[in-house]
Amino acid sequence: MLPEPFTSEYLSQLETLRLRTRKEFLGSQTGSYSSPRRGTSLEFADYRRYSPGDDLRYLDWGIYARTDRLYVKLFREEVDLFAYIFVDASASMAFPSPREKFLPASHIAASLAYVVLANHDHVKLHLLGNSNHAPSPFYRGRRRITDCIHFMTSANPEGPLELAPALAEYLRMLRRPGKAILISDFLMPPSSYQQGLNLLRGFNLDIAVIQVLTRQEVDPPFPNGGLRLVDSETNAEIGFQWDAAAQQDYKSRLAQHNSEIRSFCHQSGIHYSLYVTDRELDDFVFATLPAIGLFK
Amino acid sequence: MEFLNPTALYGFLALPLLLIPYLIRRKPQRVIFSSLLLFSVPEKRAGGRPWGRLRLPPIFFLQLLLLTLVIAALAEPVFSVRTSRIAIVFDNSASMQALFGQQTRFALAQEKARGLLSDLGPAATADLYLTVPRLEKVRAASLGPVEAAGIVGTLTPYDLPDAPIDYQVVLSQMVREQKYDRVYLITDHPAVGQTDALRVLTVGQPRDNFAVSAFNISHSSLVGSRLEGTAEIANFSAKDERIKVVLRGGSAVLSSRDLVVEAGKTAAAIFSGLPNHPYYELEIDNRDGLPVDNRRFAVPPAGQNLRILGISPRPQALNSLRAIPGVSLDLIAPQEYDKADRSGYSLEIFHYSTPAVPPANPALFVLPPDNNPLAELAKPVSRPIVSSWREPHPITRYVNFALFRPAFSRPLKPRLSGEAIIESPSGPLALATERQGVRYLVLGFEIFPYLGRENLPVSVFTLNLLDWFFHGSGAERRATGAPLIFSAAPQESFLLTPRGDKIALDRGANSFPATYFQGLYQFQRGSHRELFAVNLDHKNESDLRQPTPIAIREASSAAVNVSALFSIWPYLLLISLVLLFVEWFVNPRPIRSAFGLRSPPAT
Repeated sequence: MLPEPFTSEYLSQLETLRLRTRKEFLGSQTGSYSSPRRGTSLEFADYRRYSPGDDLRYLDWGIYARTDRLYVKLFREEVDLFAYIFVDASASMAFPSPREKFLPASHIAASLAYVVLANHDHVKLHLLGNSNHAPSPFYRGRRRITDCIHFMTSANPEGPLELAPALAEYLRMLRRPGKAILISDFLMPPSSYQQGLNLLRGFNLDIAVIQVLTRQEVDPPFPNGGLRLVDSETNAEIGFQWDAAAQQDYKSRLAQHNSEIRSFCHQSGIHYSLYVTDRELDDFVFATLPAIGLFK
Repeated sequence: MEFLNPTALYGFLALPLLLIPYLIRRKPQRVIFSSLLLFSVPEKRAGGRPWGRLRLPPIFFLQLLLLTLVIAALAEPVFSVRTSRIAIVFDNSASMQALFGQQTRFALAQEKARGLLSDLGPAATADLYLTVPRLEKVRAASLGPVEAAGIVGTLTPYDLPDAPIDYQVVLSQMVREQKYDRVYLITDHPAVGQTDALRVLTVGQPRDNFAVSAFNISHSSLVGSRLEGTAEIANFSAKDERIKVVLRGGSAVLSSRDLVVEAGKTAAAIFSGLPNHPYYELEIDNRDGLPVDNRRFAVPPAGQNLRILGISPRPQALNSLRAIPGVSLDLIAPQEYDKADRSGYSLEIFHYSTPAVPPANPALFVLPPDNNPLAELAKPVSRPIVSSWREPHPITRYVNFALFRPAFSRPLKPRLSGEAIIESPSGPLALATERQGVRYLVLGFEIFPYLGRENLPVSVFTLNLLDWFFHGSGAERRATGAPLIFSAAPQESFLLTPRGDKIALDRGANSFPATYFQGLYQFQRGSHRELFAVNLDHKNESDLRQPTPIAIREASSAAVNVSALFSIWPYLLLISLVLLFVEWFVNPRPIRSAFGLRSPPAT
């Protein structure tokens, strides 16, 4: 029995989706994604001069009739996909509570994982920020969704996150390029997330970014007056006088920050989407993510 | 505009306290947030100080206005409608002589009265009243403001205690009957409450005081010729005080000593072996609040012997008193009493007889007839048993009441307030009373003849009562306000007051009531001169610490027919209430529960 929101209807809807990649990868087995190799799919790719030993079934008799030369037809190879889902599991994802931020992020990750699993592709989950947590193995097949969900729900977001070093630790072990999906709140300096995303790009991954924020982060309901604000990751404290002007200032800074992330992703060919956790999950998965081109 | 409760105006001094909540920097709420990346504005205030920059939000000024209105309303502001007829009642009791700075309280009262009179229009009228010796008008006719102000300066306080007046009732009656627009009482007593028509103006402040509360000169014993002075000094303050006491005889200093008087208590001093002087004066050397009670006067007993006038139909029994040393006895028949010259006697013994009125001299009544003014007599009881007696008392000391068995008695029922000295199962057998400083003793049994050792209990009792009268003789206990009593005679008599006034007394007059000042009064009739020492004898006047408040309640509309004041404090209260509602809605509620986070962990 899967937990909410993974009902049978929801899973059925997810099965109708397929991840879209903008790059071709070398798969391990036959699948449904294009490969740079020539293979036996139905999609025509090129012609080649006949060489002895070529399968006569692929000779193009039409060209031979017109040119009196033998050419064989080449087809694209279709391979399976390797998807890597990186989920931010730092302490900031537990604000205001894991249930309100990390859990929705986990649900997105599991939903995407199920989309991959439903297409008989490979998916591997990574938790960023907790160095003690090993990545999951590659999962394949729908039934492994339970393992995915268990892997995600067993995580406990804590500690600080340095995005680039955390990604580098996993990428060192990466053998097959594929689709990389990074789920985080991106409440980090621009240089930090830019470095991390560039690192993913360097490994020839097709990248998608989902920024997860809570309503409290978008519109902090602090009482007016003096506050001692504590950073959830570093425990750094600052004194702050919160009032309407400060609230307005915060909102504009957040908008600027998100705009910078979106702009960087756009320039880097990265899918970007913002998910505020008070929004319905299925609405986000079935409306927003296809709209940004994450699904076919 | 005036204030009926001006004390509340001191509340304005507390208004700056309203700033304190805004000055005190509340400990900032500690909130954990996912990241401080977007909070890059550092706090500018110093971190360690408990106070910060003064921030005055608009709600502060609303609260300030609210408090100001409430305090103003508590002060009960009224707009004065110009009055045309007022009465000013001066408290001229002795405590009004207390010093407040360089001025007496009465001088302050006079200044206040002049201020009130100067506010009156030229057509207005004012009546001036004094409270002691009785509440009465200074001038029968109403006065104009200028004339009244002139008379105010001539008024003086008396050495008299406060009159027992219910000011609420009396002043309300004055307003009602005399049609005054307003009556002012100027006193040193604080007032509880004010009304439109009755205003109490308080002058002076509570302060410490020391007083000679008692001073008496008497013979050291019935047979002795030496005089003995006893004095009592009271300390009406909160700290112990060393006080120098000086005893003068005439103008010569006879003795002086230092006494340590504990706070709130009294100390006694005894001066033995005093030489004879016409009068004695005891003074404490202390610059305190009230000078008048720092001195006290006394005169010695009229003679060295106990001079007794015996009035009896059976003089043989009284004759036995001659056997007592120090006793001189004159015997007359009851019918001769009215014609006799009774001056100079220390004691009058009415034996089976009584005068029409209580005599001016101390008197002993032995089995008086039923028409006596002091006590009713019950049916005779033979061989009465003494069931109880007053102890300690000078009359009962050393008396063996187990052997005290008169042959018969008539139990007494007092007509005046008195003290039962000896009681039997059937009623009191001996009653002592004192009126206007004169001692009376009524006995319901026979003690004469004086038999000496042959009837020791009764003889001891007789000597005790003679000694009691002997010590009670003299005029040292005369209080201001009590009349001086002397024997009536058809001759011309004069009285010299302490202020040097020589007052001619009417022929046949036997009293002088106007003893309003403390000091020595000299009675003169022909060659006969007699000194009376009159003293302020009221401790409440000397205690200047906490005068009894005068309660003034709002009179009914029927009682006060004219209101000279227009009260605006109800309107101020109404505005305050409106402001309170405004503040209720304007003041932002603390946003605590709205923040849907877990409560931040305490550091």
